[in-house]
Amino acid sequence: MMPELPPVAESWLRDTLLRRAHPLLLSFDAGWCLRDVHGDAAFHGFDSGDAGRALRELQDLFIGLPLDGHQELPFIELSNGRSAHVHLIADPPGFHVLLLDAEEERVQQRAQQQLGNEAVLAGHEKSKAIGRLQEIRNELERQRASLEEANALKNALIATLSHDFRTPLTSIFGYLHLLEGPAADAARARQALGAIRRNATYLFTLAENLLEYGRGEAGALLNPGVLSVDALARDIDDMFRPLAEDKRLAFEVGVERDDGSVVPLFDEVRVRQVAVNLLSNAVRYTAQGTVSARFAWRGGRLRIEIADTGIGISPEFRERVFKPFNRGGQAGSKGAGLGLSIVRRLVEQMGGTLALDSAPGRGTRFTIDLPPLASLPAPAGLDPAATPWKKDFDVLVVDDDPDVAQLLEALLLDLGFRVRVAGDANAAVAEVMRRPPDLLLIDVEMPGLSGNAAVFRLRSNGYRGRIVTLSATSTGEARDASLRAGADYYLTKPLNLDQFVGVVQRATASPVGA
Amino acid sequence: MRTHKLCMLGDFGVGKTSLVARFVRRTFSEKYLTTVGVKVDSKEVALPDREPLKLVVWDIAGRGTLDAPGANYLRGASALLMVADGTREASLAAALELLEQARRDLPDVAAALAVNKLDLVERWEVTAATLSDLRRELPVFETSALSGDGVEAAFAELAARLAT
Ligand SMILES: Nc1nc2c(ncn2[C@@H]2O[C@H](COP(=O)(O)OP(=O)(O)OP(=O)(O)O)[C@@H](O)[C@H]2O)c(=O)[nH]1
Ligand SMILES: [Mg+2]
Repeated sequence: MMPELPPVAESWLRDTLLRRAHPLLLSFDAGWCLRDVHGDAAFHGFDSGDAGRALRELQDLFIGLPLDGHQELPFIELSNGRSAHVHLIADPPGFHVLLLDAEEERVQQRAQQQLGNEAVLAGHEKSKAIGRLQEIRNELERQRASLEEANALKNALIATLSHDFRTPLTSIFGYLHLLEGPAADAARARQALGAIRRNATYLFTLAENLLEYGRGEAGALLNPGVLSVDALARDIDDMFRPLAEDKRLAFEVGVERDDGSVVPLFDEVRVRQVAVNLLSNAVRYTAQGTVSARFAWRGGRLRIEIADTGIGISPEFRERVFKPFNRGGQAGSKGAGLGLSIVRRLVEQMGGTLALDSAPGRGTRFTIDLPPLASLPAPAGLDPAATPWKKDFDVLVVDDDPDVAQLLEALLLDLGFRVRVAGDANAAVAEVMRRPPDLLLIDVEMPGLSGNAAVFRLRSNGYRGRIVTLSATSTGEARDASLRAGADYYLTKPLNLDQFVGVVQRATASPVGA
Repeated sequence: MRTHKLCMLGDFGVGKTSLVARFVRRTFSEKYLTTVGVKVDSKEVALPDREPLKLVVWDIAGRGTLDAPGANYLRGASALLMVADGTREASLAAALELLEQARRDLPDVAAALAVNKLDLVERWEVTAATLSDLRRELPVFETSALSGDGVEAAFAELAARLAT
């Protein structure tokens, strides 16, 4: 309790507090009917003009609160924009509401709070920026290292190539010369032709590998299709039996299969490349004994086993033989050393595994196990040229540019899909929620809700189908942002049609939810 | 008309004031002006096949946890719109923590979550998977006070729950 003040001080204090607080006391009966008003009504917006509204606002403040006890609600901003401390003073059967101006106090408190909050927000931004810088630095470091490596590889490539191409060519020219000579009897001619064929096959593999190597790790689009193992085995036989026989090696090709109810799809060119590389090594590095190739097709998976009784690879070279230009493992061997590195890369691209089993002096066995890239149901009456996706695959195309949407629609119809089109992201979200498509192709840069936002929203609502985003921005950052939002693939405009078709094939071939 | 008290609850800077401005006045400001205490607004909401109802929206100053003044403001509320900022994962944790605290005093309150700043989705820390899981517990809306996306839907969901 404050002691009695001298009257002059008491009145001064009273005036000061009243001037600062602009108190307004509104007295109500129990039903919010205004009985009396004391104080600065205009200041708090309770002047005649909009008094009704101000009173309703006041009443709304106490929704759900008892009116028969004291209440205090500090710092309430009402529609007049000023802040007040609002008190409810019970006075049965009615009550009073007291408003005290809090604007000045609020301005001060806001200045402080604003500084504190902004400091925290800036701190968060800063640590994010630092993290991002770190990422960029690592990325640059990685790029520098890979450039160095690429340069070293290039030098090694040139050095080995000049040797690798010259040796078989020299030998081909030598035998041709011999064939053209006068004394070529039938036996010698046969031997010469065999040697020419061997060297030509080798050159062919070498050239294929160089192409594959040049294609690089990226840009490798798999091309799922129906694989005829019998035809593959026949080709392999045609290609390698003469080479093996020239060296008096036994050569065996076997095919084993179970007739499953599905037709698995593989990338035939890559499967062939794997087999050809492994066999061409096997024949080259085997002086006597047997070379065999076995294709086993079980439970939809393809197993390729290439075995020889050649010089073998000693344990310390197991890893190294898979690196480009390293061929220390196979003593006295010649060759660009690309073969095994490419085999490994292809197998990885196809999602398979590769096992190497070898004993120096006794032989080598490579076992490759490949999962199907996709599979088709029901082999009955299967048309091998058929598109590798289900016929009624449902695609939703979303682009605000009707020309682009139409182009995509036409392309997809050509590919045998069913196509729906939406013109903006909100419509797309609604359409997907109504009936989820197997594949969603969506433009990123659209007015209103962005494609990425729509993708995020769909993923957070549980949409599990494939999503391909299309964007005019080709930065890695834009790509990452889109993938983070939930896209499976990101394509840049203008569209490269081959790439587009490749991505659509991949998107539709991989099982949904994988 | 039935009138209900709805409180906006979430960490500071997540966009509570901006969501209310979008919902009530269809405006947006880039500038951040932190809320001190509470700003009270109201809006009538039309409902399909139902009487319209009035929402009295309490935009409460943002905090990571519920302190005594915050709890005081919540008394009498029948709905909570929890707000998080998608670009700050921590603000989502704060919103969930606040909800848990608020439910101790308001066991029957209707609640929804707005994860705001959808227009900045490229910079979001909160993932779709997280929200997909959260949806099992409460209605979740990705919103943007800037563009208006999802804002109406979030308030409408709460209004619909209040009407039943
Ligand atoms: N880009 C973008 N910015 C937003 C959005 N919503 C709010 N902001 C910005 O975020 C900042 C904070 O918004 P406020 O609405 O003041 O946040 P608040 O939750 O009310 O913050 P406190 O009052 O301090 O609790 C402001 O600069 C807004 O412009 C949004 O949807 N998108
Ligand atoms: Mg605010």
